[in-house]
Amino acid sequence: MTLLKVEDLHTHFISRDLDNQICIAKALNGVSFSLEAGRVLGIVGETGAGKSLTAQSIVGLLRPPAKIVAGSVRFEGRELTDMPDAELNRIRGNNIAMVVQNPRTSLDPLTRVGDQLVRLHQIHSGGPKTASHKRALEMMEAVGLPDPESRAKSWPHELSGGMAQRVLLAMALMNSPKLLIADEPTTGLDVTVQAQILDLLRSLVARFDMATLIITHDLGVVAHFCNDIAVMFGGSIVETGSVRDVFAAPAHPYTRDLIAATPERFQMGRAKALGGQPPDLYNLPSGCVLQSRCAYATELCQTTVRNAEVAEGHFALCHYAGRLEEQPAVKINA
Amino acid sequence: MTQPVLKIRNLSKRFPVGGGRVVHAVNCVDLSIMPGETLGMVGESGSGKSTLGRVILRLLEPSEGSIEFDGQDITQLPKGQIRRLRRDMQMVFQDPWSALNPRMRIRDLIAEPIKLHVDLSRSERDDRTEDLARRVNLGSTYLNRYPANLSGGQLQRACIARAIATDPKLIVLDEPTSSLDLSVRAGILELLAEIREETKAAMLFISHDLGTVRMISDRIAVLYLGEVVEQGQTEALFETPAHPYTQALLSAHLPADPAFKVSRLVLEGEVPSPIALPTGCKFHTRCPVAIARCAREVPQAIQVPSGQQAGCLRIPNGGNIIERKEDV
Ligand SMILES: Nc1ncnc2c1ncn2[C@@H]1O[C@H](COP(=O)(O)OP(=O)(O)OP(=O)(O)O)[C@@H](O)[C@H]1O
Ligand SMILES: Nc1ncnc2c1ncn2[C@@H]1O[C@H](COP(=O)(O)OP(=O)(O)O)[C@@H](O)[C@H]1O
Ligand code: SF4
Ligand code: SF4
Ligand SMILES: [Mg+2]
Ligand SMILES: [Mg+2]
Repeated sequence: MTLLKVEDLHTHFISRDLDNQICIAKALNGVSFSLEAGRVLGIVGETGAGKSLTAQSIVGLLRPPAKIVAGSVRFEGRELTDMPDAELNRIRGNNIAMVVQNPRTSLDPLTRVGDQLVRLHQIHSGGPKTASHKRALEMMEAVGLPDPESRAKSWPHELSGGMAQRVLLAMALMNSPKLLIADEPTTGLDVTVQAQILDLLRSLVARFDMATLIITHDLGVVAHFCNDIAVMFGGSIVETGSVRDVFAAPAHPYTRDLIAATPERFQMGRAKALGGQPPDLYNLPSGCVLQSRCAYATELCQTTVRNAEVAEGHFALCHYAGRLEEQPAVKINA
Repeated sequence: MTQPVLKIRNLSKRFPVGGGRVVHAVNCVDLSIMPGETLGMVGESGSGKSTLGRVILRLLEPSEGSIEFDGQDITQLPKGQIRRLRRDMQMVFQDPWSALNPRMRIRDLIAEPIKLHVDLSRSERDDRTEDLARRVNLGSTYLNRYPANLSGGQLQRACIARAIATDPKLIVLDEPTSSLDLSVRAGILELLAEIREETKAAMLFISHDLGTVRMISDRIAVLYLGEVVEQGQTEALFETPAHPYTQALLSAHLPADPAFKVSRLVLEGEVPSPIALPTGCKFHTRCPVAIARCAREVPQAIQVPSGQQAGCLRIPNGGNIIERKEDV
């Protein structure tokens, strides 16, 4: 059974404007992917593409006015989107753990680090307190915090950015989750510290056989730490596949541009073809979300796009996936 | 022989932070930039990059050392005269949202430096403003808008238009692309490269992103705890980094290409506080090849065979090269 299966997920922001008219921002538009134990999937995309929202939708941490309006999230075969809160909480504490971008704001400033770990273990795993304490020290050790005994007594404000991120990872591991979701786990950390945290993350994934979802805007992180990649644009996953396949032969025009814009591939003189406005979520075009800035767009692109398998396990959401080069029709953005 | 546009000697900046404590943000830096040259400055957060950029422009007062700009010592120049110098030295900041007055239209924002520094009639100024907007690929429809109605990339283009409006000899760019998405970033870098070709302005390009710096810089200076630990030609520094910190920094960079094998040197610990600087070589607390002497002796920059200058005590006997772990 697939550990995590997300199917056709639609998340909208539904609010009323000054004239009391309903406004809908279609932030996620049919997100689908799945993840198996022991695999690391990287979700990449530009700001506002819907990466964090995807994570929040999966774990049920959406805040109003955001709402899942359609689709399904199955974890070990069980549907999460309509699960009662208490039950979902239990799964979130025991089986799914999340590490978010800003380590400092995710720690309780008034509780010593060790006590936060113990508390979390007590809530979800119960058992004698001494066992929780022992587990806390083990996990602090596992994430490479030197001298766990004395570190456990630290207050959050005494930790550096890298140490706070390690504590959050230790927290995420306390209840041996099967799925770890890390939203920009190294953004804002120094490169040398980022290297430490990513190495750690990878060894933990192997050691505990977790499935891991890494959300990042850094293609370098995906290239070297993930097995699979999902590229998001305008609330849709426009391309998925193994990291090797997608980097070697990107099939979607957006992925091509993204990879072409990395310092490794970027060629001066090409930039004008790249970039453009993100789509207006309040007023999405019918058909492909990329059509206003896609060099290959034709009239066909105004019609609903289906995911096409361009190679085994490699999908792209484009009418011309796999045949962009031979595409004969008249381009609308030429 | 051509004179450098900028020459700084032994420059330091310290911030008193109360309780008698002092942040040593920039320590004894020597650098120069030739006309038309782009010097990339890299370093981790808190290494003093922004502070150094601001001291060079005299937006902050140096604590020690000298700054020579275009042959003139400007270290002690009174504020009034510094204002006039702004015409020749401009700055672009990381965050274009806070760099621009939100109540001014883009047109007026671009015209502002011209108004301040260049004697032009009103219609000449308008023409120049439109030329500049065109030069940075900002459509004329944006000129009548306010900053809030532009994207980050468009705002950064407006900032660049302002920076080049007076044909400066030096532009200091502090993380000009860091807040922008990858595809937008590429466009801005390309624009900067074109502008450099056309105007022959020298640039100090500050960034923590090694890939970006490599693309745009002729030379690179690496900062650690406010000190330049290594500087040299871009390719030499990337191919054969001499200082152990440079080696570690470069190896921590993850190229966006899975086919590129990385062999990593993962440093232990984090950057020490600039309030209590380590003795001797400032890198000795994290250096994988440190020896006892490193805690006592301050290394002097020396030239290595590949041409860079680096400050490490172990260079003479080759002990500065860190052994790599297996490829991952
Ligand atoms: N006004 C100030 N008062 C006290 N300390 C300061 C002040 N400005 C900067 N610092 C300190 O000086 C050091 C260098 O700061 P600076 O902003 O130059 O770093 P940076 O290399 O630009 O870092 P980043 O990559 O995060 O932008 C830091 O430790 C910083 O906290
Ligand atoms: N309260 C809100 N109302 C309308 N749109 C919102 C709201 N909050 C977030 N969004 C939009 O949802 C989209 C996805 O956001 P997010 O998942 O945070 O993006 P990212 O990919 O950067 O993590 C963005 O375009 C954002 O502007
Ligand atoms: S469907 Fe059309 S607009 Fe969309 S990515 Fe493909 S070619 Fe471009
Ligand atoms: S001087 Fe010593 S501590 Fe400093 S970089 Fe060289 S070997 Fe390392
Ligand atoms: Mg996000
Ligand atoms: Mg800075």
